[in-house]
Amino acid sequence: MRTWYFSEMAYHPAWDKGLARGSLRVNFPNENVDPREAGTLLNRYLDEFALCDEVGLDIMVNEHHSTATCMTVSVPMALAVIARETKKARLLSLGNPIANRPDPVRVAEEMAWLDCLSGGRVEMGLVKGAPYEIAPANSNPGRLMRRYWEAHDLILKALSTTTGPFSWEGEFFQYRAVNIWPRPIQQPTPPVWMTGMSVDTGIAAAEKGHVVGTLLSGGLAKPMYDAYRKRARELGWEAGPDRMAYAAIVGVGHTREEGLRRADIIADYVRTAPVVAEPFTNPPGYNSIGANVAMLRAGPRAHRMVTDRNGVPIDHRTATVQQFMDTDTVFAGTPDDVFEQLKAFNARMGGVGHLLFFGQGGHLSHQDAKENIRLFGTEIAPRLRELGVPEQAAAE
Amino acid sequence: MGRHVVVAGVNLEIEEAGQGRPLLFLHPGEGLQPTHPWLNRLGQHHRVIAPHHPGWGGSALPDWIGTVDDLAYLYLDLAAELGLEEAVLAGSSFGGWIAAEIAVRNTSRFAGLLLADPLGIKVGGVLDRDIADMHAIPRAAFMRLAWADPAKGEIDTTKLPDTELAGIARGREALAVFGWKPYMHNPRLKRWLHRIDIPTHLIWGEQDGIVSMTYGEAWKAEIPGARMETIPAAGHFPHWEQPDAFAARVRAFTELL
Repeated sequence: MRTWYFSEMAYHPAWDKGLARGSLRVNFPNENVDPREAGTLLNRYLDEFALCDEVGLDIMVNEHHSTATCMTVSVPMALAVIARETKKARLLSLGNPIANRPDPVRVAEEMAWLDCLSGGRVEMGLVKGAPYEIAPANSNPGRLMRRYWEAHDLILKALSTTTGPFSWEGEFFQYRAVNIWPRPIQQPTPPVWMTGMSVDTGIAAAEKGHVVGTLLSGGLAKPMYDAYRKRARELGWEAGPDRMAYAAIVGVGHTREEGLRRADIIADYVRTAPVVAEPFTNPPGYNSIGANVAMLRAGPRAHRMVTDRNGVPIDHRTATVQQFMDTDTVFAGTPDDVFEQLKAFNARMGGVGHLLFFGQGGHLSHQDAKENIRLFGTEIAPRLRELGVPEQAAAE
Repeated sequence: MGRHVVVAGVNLEIEEAGQGRPLLFLHPGEGLQPTHPWLNRLGQHHRVIAPHHPGWGGSALPDWIGTVDDLAYLYLDLAAELGLEEAVLAGSSFGGWIAAEIAVRNTSRFAGLLLADPLGIKVGGVLDRDIADMHAIPRAAFMRLAWADPAKGEIDTTKLPDTELAGIARGREALAVFGWKPYMHNPRLKRWLHRIDIPTHLIWGEQDGIVSMTYGEAWKAEIPGARMETIPAAGHFPHWEQPDAFAARVRAFTELL
């Protein structure tokens, strides 16, 4: 299991006001951000990313828009800074919300440029994006995945074509001369990742051979991984743990209490992230007809929940650290605790090759964040690297 | 359940009611909801033909259809397929937009155009929101804008069968496909409204909070000879909210054609 550290670079000083308004995203006016404080925080977060290189962790960056929960507005911009400050870490963009990007060729150019700059360290996530990203981008939620797949195909072709220019006359994108300069070091393209929470995503990712990642719910992850492995087998290949990724909050301490305390602070991110005005949570077309039927049947007051390992529903907005640990949202404690928890998780999931280590939620102090990264990098990550396919899954 | 007709390769479900001069009714984004009484009221004096738009009800939404232009040509083909002559072309809200796109292209099968609280044109400046952003407000707030009496329009989705819920979800997605960006309008349509060469009647709910009566006046100003009248105690869907008053005004208009 490899470990990729990430942080959403939150603007947590505005969270209380956002929570009071019932929305931290889209319609939360930016008068609530102090730009100088934002700059101070961004520098601090980037220092935390840079530390990962020293302790042997890889790095992941994501982006969101119009929100106090994440100040990263552009993955390539953040990775450009981080690429210059790191030497060994692989750099995962997870990712570019390509169905919301008007110009896929620009995405290919940026990824190629980063791959050159970093000496071939880029891994490239092409993601659907969260439902509340539709409004800031004003992208059409209808036929979103058709647009996603056209952008996906165009980006991969732009990155891997060396004898261009080529033309592209598609349903959503039209170009007459695609010929990106520079082209990426990693050929034909940097490794491609997708994200999702459904069996369908697992199947789609398997058909492309991409890495598939999901977050914060072991209960949802397992069926998706199983669907991936099954589809790969049908197509004549074995999907190993290196095709599966999982994002979770991790708090490590010299004592169990310290680890739990750090995890609890980081988990405030998960408690705030879903707080967004209702109309932006389910734009028409974003979710499947089946999912919408279930929501209409449940009525307007039903909250979306995840369930723990015993099927007990947990509300992310109010959950305790223990409840989060029961849903595999959080791993926490001493280095030994966390290793054992992840080892058990790896076995339950049938082998997960990538842990996306959510190690900064906003309120965690710089000292705590650095110590969390250092402990993970030196005490846990080396042991996780030895962790492969769990014995039980290998025997199946 | 209506009957199915295949037009230009598209399988359309069509509701029909009544006898008399044909009236092609194009429904709003909220759907046709044929169980509501307005369809039969209109049917008292007209042969009402009300297709479910592609993606709504039992009508298919093929991949190649995705703009209101497509819907305009599709319904011109439908009018030809049904052999409509001297018909009334009517549309409500999103359906009004489609009707206007039809009328700027070809009115040869129609004797009159009736638009009820239509969407579809841009009137104000870049910072003016001519059409309320129905997708940025909670459902309850939408209902307050769209109905004079929101209680009349409430639908308890927790009590509907899954097939109807799937229809609602499909229709909502289809409305996004056709109208998300630019939001519920065609920036060029206003400049072509002068081409409409049949008597045109605008009906407006006096308490419409989605598109105001001022917006209606802009429509009236662009269509040669158009007239406009309002319906009290009605919001954005006067045919649902005041079916008797709506049917009476439609009748008064079509009698003169």
